[in-house]
Amino acid sequence: MNWLAGLFAFLLVLQEAPLADPEAEARAQALMREIRCVACENEPISQSASDIAEDMRRVVRQQVATGKSDAEVREWFAERYGEFVLFRPAASGFGGWMLWTLPFILLIGAGLVAFAIRRRRAPVEEIAPVRPESIDP
Amino acid sequence: MTEFAHLLAFFALALSGLQAWFGLSGQAGAARASAHLGFALMLLSFALLVRAFMISDFSVTLVAENSHTLKPAIYKFAGTWGNHEGSMALWCLVTLGFGAAAATFIRTDRETLVSRAIGIQGILAAASLAYLLFASNPFLRDLSPPLQGADLNPLLQDPALAIHPPMLYLGYVGFSLVFSLAAAGLMERRIDSTWAKLARPWTMWAWIFLTIGIALGAYWAYYELGWGGWWFWDPVENASFMPWLIGTALVHSLIVTEKRGAFAAWTALLAVLAFCFSILGAFLVRSGVLTSVHAFAIDPARGLVLLGGLIVLGGAALALFALRADKLGKGPAFEWVSREGALLANNLVFAVATATVLLGTLFPLIVEALTGDQASVGPPYFNMTFSPMLALLLFALPVVQGWAWGRASREGLVRWGVALAALLLASIAFGMMLPRPDFSGVTLEERLTAPFGIGHAIGIGLGLWLVAGAAIELFRRALWQPGRVFRLPGRVWGMTLAHLGIGVFVIGAVVETGLRYERSIVLAPGEATEVAGWTLELDRMASVEGPNWYADRAFLTASRGDTSVEMAPDKRFYPAARMPTTETAIHKTLAGDLYIALGEVRASEDVTRWSFRVYFNPFIDWVFIGTILMSLGGGLSLLPRRRAAVTTRRAEAVAAE
Repeated sequence: MNWLAGLFAFLLVLQEAPLADPEAEARAQALMREIRCVACENEPISQSASDIAEDMRRVVRQQVATGKSDAEVREWFAERYGEFVLFRPAASGFGGWMLWTLPFILLIGAGLVAFAIRRRRAPVEEIAPVRPESIDP
Repeated sequence: MTEFAHLLAFFALALSGLQAWFGLSGQAGAARASAHLGFALMLLSFALLVRAFMISDFSVTLVAENSHTLKPAIYKFAGTWGNHEGSMALWCLVTLGFGAAAATFIRTDRETLVSRAIGIQGILAAASLAYLLFASNPFLRDLSPPLQGADLNPLLQDPALAIHPPMLYLGYVGFSLVFSLAAAGLMERRIDSTWAKLARPWTMWAWIFLTIGIALGAYWAYYELGWGGWWFWDPVENASFMPWLIGTALVHSLIVTEKRGAFAAWTALLAVLAFCFSILGAFLVRSGVLTSVHAFAIDPARGLVLLGGLIVLGGAALALFALRADKLGKGPAFEWVSREGALLANNLVFAVATATVLLGTLFPLIVEALTGDQASVGPPYFNMTFSPMLALLLFALPVVQGWAWGRASREGLVRWGVALAALLLASIAFGMMLPRPDFSGVTLEERLTAPFGIGHAIGIGLGLWLVAGAAIELFRRALWQPGRVFRLPGRVWGMTLAHLGIGVFVIGAVVETGLRYERSIVLAPGEATEVAGWTLELDRMASVEGPNWYADRAFLTASRGDTSVEMAPDKRFYPAARMPTTETAIHKTLAGDLYIALGEVRASEDVTRWSFRVYFNPFIDWVFIGTILMSLGGGLSLLPRRRAAVTTRRAEAVAAE
């Protein structure tokens, strides 16, 4: 039975080994940073020391190794554990669209409002520039 | 003694009531006296609470729940604010402290303004004290005290975490005085240059403390939580970041109000919002509505009281603002290409950035309330919304920071435009040329020169652009004569250093997040492996014991080339709190930190192995140096102008003759 224990230990060492293809490993690591460890408080699986995170890391590497795309890996995890597991919320449905677009709508909207306010108070006469140095820094 | 402390807190509550009454009815002298006395009593009360922690008086429930006789003295001391009730007591103390400071240091001929501000500060202090005494009382006794305490959350038993909360509170609560000044200014319809001169130092100090507080928190998370990162856009991090963003907008808009009398309404609004976001932060952290790695002292019911207070307080202030905003001065007209225009853009981006962080933080709550589903919003979201917005603003910064008020010269614009386009093209080319990083058996040098994406390359370009921009602005102000650089006023140095700090921070943050190397390894004593260009050998494992913990400690030798260092990460267990913590081992090099956290034991029949998380965090110190530069810049900008001081002295001399 000793050889079995040895094999087991060898597998333990192996399971956290990076993928041989550096390109694939880079993709796997990027994915691990945005998949949430289901047993922890708001931590990605890349950071968690828990066993389930380790399992999930292994699954990510396996799937990347079998040629799945980033989107397919994310989908697999979302299907299995729910949308909750993805730190990158989907831009689907009304909520998702609001979440992703609202910041930019706000930015443009705020710019337009500022533009309108300043235009309403547009100066009639030429404005004399004042160097900041001449009143204070 | 604790009963006496309890009584003193009640007196402090009564005095804040008096402070509010006297202040708002215009009796400045009496309001000042109440503010001083109230603070003194609360200081004594708080000192007695600290004493109970120091002598481990377990008949006080709070001490029994959060302390332990074996805990080192510094953590008994800091443990006073390492829990909900104690930290609220600190919050009250700081609120009263700012009232007393305002009563002492604000000297102006606008007596009504100061009197009312002290009065409103009294209301805030009374509200916090009422919350403390009626909803989270730290002074309660347990009639059958336990022999030993339950200990402080071991994660908080750390030097950085001992000073992090006081710094954070000086920041959060510092905005309370700014809030009071804004409300008082709105009451008398005068938010103008004089008001801004009064409010600026207080705002700046609050901003500096908040900056330091957040940086300490990030640094603590970096070396204590053992996940190698320093910022994760976690709800609790965001809670402290939102007041900081609003505060940053405020310190910029205050300049316009001070120098030009413009943006008055907007400045007042930001002053009100900065404190509202501080309370919102306290609510988010304590209510447990969001899951976080840092959440502490969670209690939904008491959280709701905080939310109620926020709604009442914020609502009242905003109503006052709505009534008075149109009566405030508008200031002289300006063109878009002007200092005002630039600072307006700054304010818009910071305000929208705050809204974005708020949206991302609350989104999981909103989704859960509406659909019952659970959602997560994490770094990818903020990296794609918040970061580009800020990057856009920061790219403009070196160009606009020298612009004149009213109407800036358009002469240099073409040159700046060409330089910026060249920088962007170079960054993109740099990003595309270099190969993807290789994660297997790389050497450090390979890793640091290995590029990683166009976004990161642009980020580094931005950082360099900001650093160069700060240097250029400094020399331009000195009329290109290096000798004059050191005679520039403190405000110029302050601005430049803060903007330089942003540049240093951006470089650090981009390099660290883009090139961080992380990997798990498993080693048995005597084994060695190659990670991040270093050879790590596990020499031995040992069991060690501390005052209130015991630990497994790994002794590793990390060697690369001629350097060889001993590293000893711990996995500690605190029996009283029944919690494990990781104590990471960090070896600093010029290029970054080699960082090791000890993980689990992997026993099999013949050999016991240990798992380790190994990180190489390049340029991590730049993140913290950048924040230090920003705070330092804030401090320098408060230095009085040397020439002005000289003129006053001369005027005094003339008057004396």
